[in-house]
Amino acid sequence: METNPEFTRYMDRYFEYKGQWDSPSKCGLKIVRRKDGKTLAIATEIYRQNPGTPVTEWVAPIASQILHEFGLNPENFIFVEHTPDLKSKLTFYGETFDLVTFDRDGNKFNNPKWKRLNREEVDLLMEE
Amino acid sequence: MKFKLIYPRWEKLEGQTIFYLPPHGPVVMAADLPSHVEVDFTDENVEELVIDETPDLIGISMMLTTQVKRGWAIADQYRKLGKKVIFGGISTMLHAEETMLHADSVFLGEVEGRLADVFDDFRKNELKKVYNFLSKPPDMNLIGPARRDILKEDLYYHKGFRMVDLFHASRGCIYDCYPCAVRYLGGRGFRPRPIDRVVEELSQMENNRLFIVDNSLALDTKWEKELFKAMIPLKKKWVSHTIEDKDEVLDLAAQAGAWYVYQAVFDTSDYIRNRIKQYHDYGIGVEGTILLGLDNQTEDDIKRLIDFLLEIELDLAEFTVLAPFPHTKAYSDLLKQGRIFDHDWDHYNAGKVVYHPKHMTAERLQELYHYAWDTFYKDEPQTQKMFNLLSTVIQRETEDGTYKPRRRDLLDQSFGKEINPVA
Repeated sequence: METNPEFTRYMDRYFEYKGQWDSPSKCGLKIVRRKDGKTLAIATEIYRQNPGTPVTEWVAPIASQILHEFGLNPENFIFVEHTPDLKSKLTFYGETFDLVTFDRDGNKFNNPKWKRLNREEVDLLMEE
Repeated sequence: MKFKLIYPRWEKLEGQTIFYLPPHGPVVMAADLPSHVEVDFTDENVEELVIDETPDLIGISMMLTTQVKRGWAIADQYRKLGKKVIFGGISTMLHAEETMLHADSVFLGEVEGRLADVFDDFRKNELKKVYNFLSKPPDMNLIGPARRDILKEDLYYHKGFRMVDLFHASRGCIYDCYPCAVRYLGGRGFRPRPIDRVVEELSQMENNRLFIVDNSLALDTKWEKELFKAMIPLKKKWVSHTIEDKDEVLDLAAQAGAWYVYQAVFDTSDYIRNRIKQYHDYGIGVEGTILLGLDNQTEDDIKRLIDFLLEIELDLAEFTVLAPFPHTKAYSDLLKQGRIFDHDWDHYNAGKVVYHPKHMTAERLQELYHYAWDTFYKDEPQTQKMFNLLSTVIQRETEDGTYKPRRRDLLDQSFGKEINPVA
């Protein structure tokens, strides 16, 4: 499997994906190559800037697409879902991070499971 | 070609006064039917559905999640008779994959300009499994006057009083509210109808009382002002969701016939207190919509909120518990946390608790839901409060000469069923 030349150690950009019913969709994406050789991907929900399917609802296909597009090794892949703080009057739009684990069918992920992380745990994931 | 269009029944919210409004989705859909299609509509909430082999094609229009299981059952019966069934509407979109198991075809998105092709495919026996227009909203100019002629009008009367007719002046929404799926259904943008098309449709409507079902009338100040100015001469009286809080907007809304609004009351802040007072200052009534069971609510918060509602003199209140409908942030969050314990869509009526609340048990939230209804309507029952609101609109209609008296021939009828008129 070849690594996408666009990606070396750190990348931060928008990521386009086809969401449910082929809806054109978009999220934020950070990819970090860790010292231990593992790759951390953080997909950020961008709410109004995302015209299509939210990250949570499409998390397994997004992770599979990232794996494919950047030529990453599924054995060394860590995926985190991020929702940013929208500074809303409502508390439901605060910042959250979830570690997402999947079942695997070859290079395709399915059956996501989420585990809430605090900021320090995310920082640690990035530094390792 | 005979097209049978069906709106499946659902169980009404416990504690709420039962009434049935003429549905909106089917009449908007029917406006795009090709002229050769003869449509026969049944709203199963107010009349019995007779399933037979007469129709050529069956359409099932579903708005609510609590309709889907009944819609699927109807489809299964028709398909056993060898009839083809196509589904559309909001909850078809929310439950598309499951619905496909009971359908020959599902239509996702908005219909304008598209049904001629669908019926042509049916005629050629080439009906597609999915018509997917979710990301392709139609030209707003194509939205013509809804086909309210398909409704059996007399079924929407209670003791001679006609129910409001539903109407829409815009689609979509710029917000991403926690319990709402509009971002998925209508795209993440505000799409107003051209004002002249809105006025054209309103002018054709015989019913003077409307429910403007737009997601919000607080999304585009300029358009709202133009809309309300254009509506003033029509002398309609209307209910709507939130109206923008600018004084010039509320003043025009009141002149255009704003009767009362559904306003979300989510806390006990001065912002909410002032918002309600501002509506009242313009003579606009307020039905508070109060969502119980959010993660920021403890039992004390809920009790304090109910006291607050009485203090700010809401005209009506509708209590619901959070229902995590698919394609909402509420659903995503609760799913991630593994807190949804009930996946029976019949229970997603916003009156039953289907998830584990953060600060109490599901059973306790269910009790607080009943406590909220009982406490708010303890001193003045819901029927009396509704009558008070009705009195205000009758007074205004009398003043501007648009009042139509009750239908005397329907005094002993309630939504198509005979009743004792003095009970």
